[in-house]
Amino acid sequence: MPAPTAPSSTEPGHLARVRRSIADVGPLLRFRAAALRGSARRRIAVVAGILLGCTVAAAIVPAHVADAGQEGRAGELLLLLPSAYLGVLGIAIVSAAAAGGGRELLQRDQAVAFPVSPTTDHLGSLLLAPLNIAWLLQTWAVLGATAYAWGPERLGWVQLPIVLWVLIATAAAQVLAWSYECVRRLRHGRFATLAIVVAGVGLAGLIVAAGRVTALLDQAPTIRLALLSAAARDGRWGEYAAGITVLVLVLVLAVALGAPPAHRLARLPAREESALETSHYAPRPTPRARAADLRMLLRLDRAGVWRSVPLRCGVAVLALLPGGAALAGGLAWDTLLIMPGLVGSGGALLFGVNAWCLDGAGGFWRETLPVRPGVPLAARAVVLAEVLLVATAATIALGAIQAGWPTATELAALLCTTVVVIVMVTGRSLQWSVTTPYAADLRSARATPAPPAAMFGYSVRLATVTTIVGLLFAATARLDDWWVPVLLAVPFVCFGALRLARVAQRWDDPAVRGRVVATVAG
Amino acid sequence: MFPPPAPPPAVAVRDLWVRFGEVEAVRGIDLTVEPGAAVGLLGRNGAGKSTTMKVLAGVFPATEGTVLVAGIEQRRDPLRVKQLVGYCPDVGGLVPRATPWEHLQLSARLRRLRDWEERARDLLETFELGDVAHRVTAGFSHGMGRRLSVVLAAFHQPRVLLLDEPFDGVDPLGVEATLKVVAEARASGAAVLVSTHLRDLAVLACDDAHVMRGGRIVGSLPSAELEGETGARAYRALLD
Repeated sequence: MPAPTAPSSTEPGHLARVRRSIADVGPLLRFRAAALRGSARRRIAVVAGILLGCTVAAAIVPAHVADAGQEGRAGELLLLLPSAYLGVLGIAIVSAAAAGGGRELLQRDQAVAFPVSPTTDHLGSLLLAPLNIAWLLQTWAVLGATAYAWGPERLGWVQLPIVLWVLIATAAAQVLAWSYECVRRLRHGRFATLAIVVAGVGLAGLIVAAGRVTALLDQAPTIRLALLSAAARDGRWGEYAAGITVLVLVLVLAVALGAPPAHRLARLPAREESALETSHYAPRPTPRARAADLRMLLRLDRAGVWRSVPLRCGVAVLALLPGGAALAGGLAWDTLLIMPGLVGSGGALLFGVNAWCLDGAGGFWRETLPVRPGVPLAARAVVLAEVLLVATAATIALGAIQAGWPTATELAALLCTTVVVIVMVTGRSLQWSVTTPYAADLRSARATPAPPAAMFGYSVRLATVTTIVGLLFAATARLDDWWVPVLLAVPFVCFGALRLARVAQRWDDPAVRGRVVATVAG
Repeated sequence: MFPPPAPPPAVAVRDLWVRFGEVEAVRGIDLTVEPGAAVGLLGRNGAGKSTTMKVLAGVFPATEGTVLVAGIEQRRDPLRVKQLVGYCPDVGGLVPRATPWEHLQLSARLRRLRDWEERARDLLETFELGDVAHRVTAGFSHGMGRRLSVVLAAFHQPRVLLLDEPFDGVDPLGVEATLKVVAEARASGAAVLVSTHLRDLAVLACDDAHVMRGGRIVGSLPSAELEGETGARAYRALLD
């Protein structure tokens, strides 16, 4: 075994390397920002301002509601706050793990040209973590609930530990996500990670089955956060200062702890991705019957989804996680009706919002094939709808275990919500795919079909529409007449179909197709 | 008795302009390629070679001008033109998570080819891709990708074979196989257009060459005149 080489005297020390890695985050962020042009830059500034405003409002406004900080509802909410704080950690872990360790500040193929350290990559991922609708909603919810529960007195000091906790949860989730990804990349890592997930789900199932959820949540360590807020309100400043100091130290530690697994991950081969790219796939007979062109294109598009590591992981998370949460929470049918919208908007973010990126550089070749433009578009729409349907069906099936048999109206509302969400999300996604394509390589587990800011915009818009749809149909599920949700679905489906028809019309223009293909092929 | 009418040129381009916003990528070129002929497109980066090829392949529409392939106007019947053209793009050109066989199968299905399997296997063997025929292309090296792109372009025995940088990063055996494909296409009466930076290979593959600069054709000459030191000087003079 060769002896390790001693570090050269000209090599920078560890501290200097860390300092350089931190300093590199700024230029990389500026590099990403420089790619934005004119109106996009203005739009992002406006959105950032709105988000900041919403965050400040969430942290302040509920404290000035009439009964805020009083006994009664606000007092009851106080008891639930530690569980909500724990929920922030849960969402952060799932988001970071599902993203293969976190968002990329610089795409993998672009980063090869620059000496970007894994520490820089780790810090970049942390900075991009808030560009996630689930993270933001959860943060607003806990800030709002804290403000309402404690009232306006010394609100800034009351909120400070919660803000620190949100940051700690994000950093800790990042550490866990890098470590999870390291395990996945080991030999037999796929099975190890599967075992971790199964064990986690099994444990959660056992806790739910044993009826120990409330007892466990009552002992959550996040109770100390509530106590710290109480110390601020009561003016126990010594206790408060000590608690804040601990939180700051934990935050710094959590951020620093993310670097070692990020470095380890950078040295590990991407086994699952390589296995997929070197596997042999047995040829299948050429379809010859009716609609054979469409079926052949569908086959290729399905391969594009199911042979991609991030897409497979994404579909699995989307199919199991909301359903698992519904199962654990014992949600009733009227609440389960929100799920198709949640899953639908998440599914579109896997690849649908930039659907042509499945072809990558192959788009140039595909564009020279003698087939009417509507046929590949239809194939792409069908494959996206299939993915949404599979994930929704799995979610509903899991949720139904606790919810029991639905009534006729609930069943009608469920089917109609699913159809409406799929038609609307498919139409909207294909519209974005045609109007704002991006070059995206869906090979790495961290890859996304569009840049982080664009993904955030898509997620907000999709979540808003699908939540409204879900709430509307949930309201109809409480009625006795099963035909009400069916009737309500008609205009939505017509609107979605009209949007799809408009997209098809646009796609028929060779100049539009050329622009999309040239962009996606990078 | 009248003699049979002469077949139309395989490619006839008249006053072709391609604009992307304010950028004029191609600025009024005329180009004719007869059946069985091989023509090289040479020039510096950004000269407009690849854009011209993409217009001929039907990937980009012409902003102005006329493009006729085997007498068919591309704007009027793009699907018929796509049946007649085989195109190897300058970059990539492969669907990352599909296998070479699946690429060939899709091409065969959409072009209504029958009994295509033997030709597909022969071509894959010629380009030494037989043992990776059922592996996804995402894991291919650059050279393997280039070779497969040439296979896909030539597979359906097109009337017009468009090869954009087919020799880029390809090993000598791959270059030989590509030259063989060009020769076979010409022998069957197909017109071949090769865009390349490699002057020596352009001389080997083509009879004539057009040198492009700034979106225009600035020189047309028999490719033999590009050979050797004298050819290099002549080429260089056209580039500046």
